[in-house]
Amino acid sequence: MTTTSSGIRRRGLLAATAALPLAAPHVRAQPAAVKIGILQPVTGALAQDGEHGRLGAEIAIDHVNRAGGIRSLGGARLEMVFGDARSNPEGGVAEVERMQAEGVVAIVGGFASPICLAASQAAARYDLPYIVDVGVSDQIVQRGLRNTFRFGPGFGTVTRAALDNLVAINDAAGKPAKTVVIVHEDGLFGSGMARLLNAQLPERGFQVLETIAHPTPSRDMSNVALRIRALGPDLLIPSSYYGEFVLLARTMQQQRIRPKAGIYAVLNGAASNFRFVREFPEAANHIMDCNHWADPRKPLTAEVRKAAEATGRFWLYNIPLNYSCVRLLADAIERAGAADRGRIIEALAASTFDGHIMPYGPTRFENGQNTGAAPVNTQVQNGDIKVIFPRAFADAQPVFPAA
Amino acid sequence: MSALRPYRAILLALALLALLPVLFTTGTVRNFLIFTLIVALAAQGWNLLGGYGGQFSFGHASFFGTGAYAIAILQARAGLNPWLALPVAVALGALAGAVIGTLAFRARLRGSYFALVTLAFAEVLRIVANVLPITGGAAGTLIRLNVDPLNFQFADRAHFYWVTLVFLGAAMVLVRALERGRFGARLVAVRENEDAARALGVDVLRVKIVAITLSAAITAVAGCLYAQNFLYLDAAIAYGPWISVEALLAPIIGGLGTVFGPLIGALVLHGLGELTKVWIGALTGGSVPGIDLVLFGILLIATVGFAPRGILGLVARLRMLPA
Repeated sequence: MTTTSSGIRRRGLLAATAALPLAAPHVRAQPAAVKIGILQPVTGALAQDGEHGRLGAEIAIDHVNRAGGIRSLGGARLEMVFGDARSNPEGGVAEVERMQAEGVVAIVGGFASPICLAASQAAARYDLPYIVDVGVSDQIVQRGLRNTFRFGPGFGTVTRAALDNLVAINDAAGKPAKTVVIVHEDGLFGSGMARLLNAQLPERGFQVLETIAHPTPSRDMSNVALRIRALGPDLLIPSSYYGEFVLLARTMQQQRIRPKAGIYAVLNGAASNFRFVREFPEAANHIMDCNHWADPRKPLTAEVRKAAEATGRFWLYNIPLNYSCVRLLADAIERAGAADRGRIIEALAASTFDGHIMPYGPTRFENGQNTGAAPVNTQVQNGDIKVIFPRAFADAQPVFPAA
Repeated sequence: MSALRPYRAILLALALLALLPVLFTTGTVRNFLIFTLIVALAAQGWNLLGGYGGQFSFGHASFFGTGAYAIAILQARAGLNPWLALPVAVALGALAGAVIGTLAFRARLRGSYFALVTLAFAEVLRIVANVLPITGGAAGTLIRLNVDPLNFQFADRAHFYWVTLVFLGAAMVLVRALERGRFGARLVAVRENEDAARALGVDVLRVKIVAITLSAAITAVAGCLYAQNFLYLDAAIAYGPWISVEALLAPIIGGLGTVFGPLIGALVLHGLGELTKVWIGALTGGSVPGIDLVLFGILLIATVGFAPRGILGLVARLRMLPA
């Protein structure tokens, strides 16, 4: 009995030993994971945006890995190396250095333009591909850096679209808006936006009554609200980050200041943010925004949104943008067929990727800028954020004039 | 040899620091070391005025930012070579110090009044830099990446580190020389008792203005190095309160009015920050953002609590204990 069992055991052991050399190559053939750097500011003033950007990237990595990884690399999995940019450029550069030391093949993210500018230059030293997720400053793609790509639209494109769409919406409603007040944060994005708006609004038949700048952070917007009441514009155009715009919208609601035609935001931190819509539904209702937004026609958008909301977070544009950027990178690595920086950069430059969830069409990079990138117009309508422009894929009609 | 004697400790420390990039070859550590030395240099400038002279400035960002913007604008807009732009930028930083110093000290501002005025100057400069076209306004000033030692950009980060170390060493030697000389004695006299110093025939106003000018020049060098290392500036980076705080925190942690205080303070501050980041990162996998900053804050409070006279003060106190 014992002999038999021990004999079987011995035979089993022998068989297993014999099988080992066969099994070993299989184990060795398991491809090494491809490390990609995800850089976001998750502490400091920009933490909310950074957290959502990171979430988008995580969902994308998960989708790529569940679909079998990078096939041209034998199904290699993507592995995230996360870096907190601490909401400042030094923090971004420090994390790029760490990611370089950890052997990433590319970096995605940055969020704010100053972080993107500094981090992509630090990455350029190592010829490390860098995909900007949001950073709208047009300087980002005007430096001739071979490694830097921006998937989303820049400043110039967004403002042009915002003005074109505003004119179209206004004309369709019988031109209820003639006078405008611009409120902007005094950093790179708000000031640049205000300058462009000031140059272009008069050409398009609007009168700019006043341009009001405020710093970020601001703790009180009463003076700005009172000034708006005194000026009594038809339309308010705010360009601010989340906190300041929410404060302004609430103050205006409390003091019953309602511009006749409404509030038309450009790249606003709150007007396309479900947190704002849920927490202050009355103040948010009918606010329009020209911003990054996922394509509601694509089935994948709903899937990503479901995955994002399952984590208890709100649906912000940072999620689809970072999701798309990581998928774009995964596609480039796939086509490069190697975890080689030079080849990934070439693959990105030649990319015609359409598996993303933004309303852009296949990517086509010119000097690092995705030429098809464009913003859309959204409007808060009864607790939901609807796309109202372009008409090709709008899921609601604009409510204009809003008041 | 005896002439070098007072500088032996400085030279030894510099030699040890110079070895660090040889021991640590990763960009992460080298980048951390460069940033720490830049802060130490800015802090050394603050220490000359605040530590030796007792004039606590809350606005050394004025000098840091002026140096940084000057070199960046001269290079990016006027096309000047950064090595040539550096002395001009430092001179402009010193000029900013002389102007602010003259205005504040002639008005006999002391203590918290002086601190508030320097803070106000830095804030005004920040707001002005945020709108002026020459600074690029809110879009900032970008120095193009063009790796060439002639262009102050080095392929190997170790080289930039050594350049930074040379400037820091020069500042430490200068401060030591001032400390040992007549000027240092007058400066300390002003710090200890301004009226008594005046009664002894010290030209208090002149001493203070010279001190703030030199202090501003040293901090402006730090600004230039920052600009050359990160290649991008905006108003919040150049004139933001962060650098004013860094510049005064490092000497306070390290030891006020000592040559090594700023360097030790910067190394401890940034070392602790980096270590907590790495430890907590390894423990939590980055799932709780900012928790390392909480730990860093606790350690900082503990450091200041146990060493109210700075780390060098603590070392001196421990030495005096009977063995």
